[in-house]
Amino acid sequence: MTRKKYGYLLALLPFFVVALMYEIIPLSMVLIKSFLPDEGGSFTLVNYKIIFTKLLYQRSIYNSMKISLISSLAGILIAVIGAKAAHAIKGRGKVSFMLILNMVSNFAGIPLAFAYMILLGNEGVLVHMGHYLGIASLEKFQLYTSFGMSIVYIYFQIPLATLLLIPSFDALKKEWSESAQLLGGTHSLYWRKIAIPVLMPEILGTFCILFANALAAYATVYALMMSDFPLLPVEIASNYVGEIQTRPGLGGALSVVMMSIIAVMITLSNILIKKLQKGVSRRG
Amino acid sequence: MDKTKKYERIWILIIMIYLLIPLAITMVYSMFQKWTKVLPEKFSLSGYGAVFSDKLFLYAVIRSIVMCIIPIAVTTVIVLLALFVAFVYFPGLKKFIQMICMIPYSIQGVILSVSILSFYVSVNNIFSNRYMMLCGAYCVIILPYMFQGIYNGMNAIEMSTLMESAQMLGAGGMYAFFRVIVPNIATSIFVSALLAMGIIFGDYVLVRNLTGTAFENMQIYLYQIMKTDSVKASAVFVIIMMITFCITAAVFSLKGKERIGHHKKRGRK
Repeated sequence: MTRKKYGYLLALLPFFVVALMYEIIPLSMVLIKSFLPDEGGSFTLVNYKIIFTKLLYQRSIYNSMKISLISSLAGILIAVIGAKAAHAIKGRGKVSFMLILNMVSNFAGIPLAFAYMILLGNEGVLVHMGHYLGIASLEKFQLYTSFGMSIVYIYFQIPLATLLLIPSFDALKKEWSESAQLLGGTHSLYWRKIAIPVLMPEILGTFCILFANALAAYATVYALMMSDFPLLPVEIASNYVGEIQTRPGLGGALSVVMMSIIAVMITLSNILIKKLQKGVSRRG
Repeated sequence: MDKTKKYERIWILIIMIYLLIPLAITMVYSMFQKWTKVLPEKFSLSGYGAVFSDKLFLYAVIRSIVMCIIPIAVTTVIVLLALFVAFVYFPGLKKFIQMICMIPYSIQGVILSVSILSFYVSVNNIFSNRYMMLCGAYCVIILPYMFQGIYNGMNAIEMSTLMESAQMLGAGGMYAFFRVIVPNIATSIFVSALLAMGIIFGDYVLVRNLTGTAFENMQIYLYQIMKTDSVKASAVFVIIMMITFCITAAVFSLKGKERIGHHKKRGRK
């Protein structure tokens, strides 16, 4: 029987072959190559040195972090409002809300960029409308700036964040709001002092996912700006598939920087969650 | 209490409208020739006519479908086999498999595609074929979704009991797995396959980085056309939107049914 049991390990083989071939080995090679100079030679930190001294890369890191932070903050705020509302209304309204969120969450990349070009591009429908109706903020809207990018990013953050948060809001116990009311607390006091603090770990966790999602987003920004707007994923890709010579070492180092930013973000939020948990006892 | 509920409804309405505006406006845009004032002018479906009479569009649709089927089939089989062995014989491996399956979720498209590209581009055999690379990349990028669905499905049924009774009745391990377990989690598999389809269908990063524009799927087709003909492109957009909506609606209703099914099972116990 035991020999037969080990025979079943063969069934694991296809999975590990695919994972090794298309995930683990290529990703490890990115890490290794980031420490090798593109001109050939042995171990070096020169790729990292380039990233932290060349203005283009500094700016792309700055832009990426800025847009990711802004869009994640706005996204999480709207998602908290949305998930709280969905938790409250239940029934058919919630079902159609969830359906739309699910649908829109699949709607990113090229189609999203195109829709925003139609809406708010230089010849956009809303821009024309703003001109005609005298709404300056619409007429003068600049889609091809970091502000415009943030607006597009916020759009795809909202459904993702709301879908991630709704289950956590639904897990809140009804007894808590009832006890809060019995003790004379108002509705808003319950949310401020009980529900939101209890949900804080989930909110922070979702924030991390949003941040990583925005940091890695590539199709949307590429469709709108090509490679003109320095962002980390754009620079990474252009080091591998650029018209000029490919530079896997530099691209690898940029990839490592990007993954490190995400790792730092997750670590920070974990520390924050731990600190918060000292004050609030969590539900069983 | 009712008053707060009213406010919550208004919030939901605002968010839904905000999310639907880009879709709705692009849809209307696709059906008119001119929209430079408040209202669109000159109703016409010429954009759709142009799209449907374009052979390149037809090819793009076929390419998109083919590129969905192969990676989803491969990943379904390998994840099923791996999780089956882990659940029944080596529970210790579950965590390990989960870790491998979740890596693509945090890495995402750009890094994964460039890593595969730079690793295989110079090997000069079947693996340096761009479509082969794309296939492999799709298999990996959908791993988190396939894993989660199949894992949840296997968790919901009592695998070891089912396996034991099947084997007591004389079925071999693999036979029992494919004839007893797989049919029981068919809905979960189907839902994850649909989710994966949505991912591959919406992909642009992998296909662009790995094949350039050589493999013109729906997304590349839209990208090429949106620079030259915005009305035709908006028609393509609406078609993509409809397909996405169908996939989502299917996932949504299947998931709902699945949930009801599980509740019933639990109720019977």
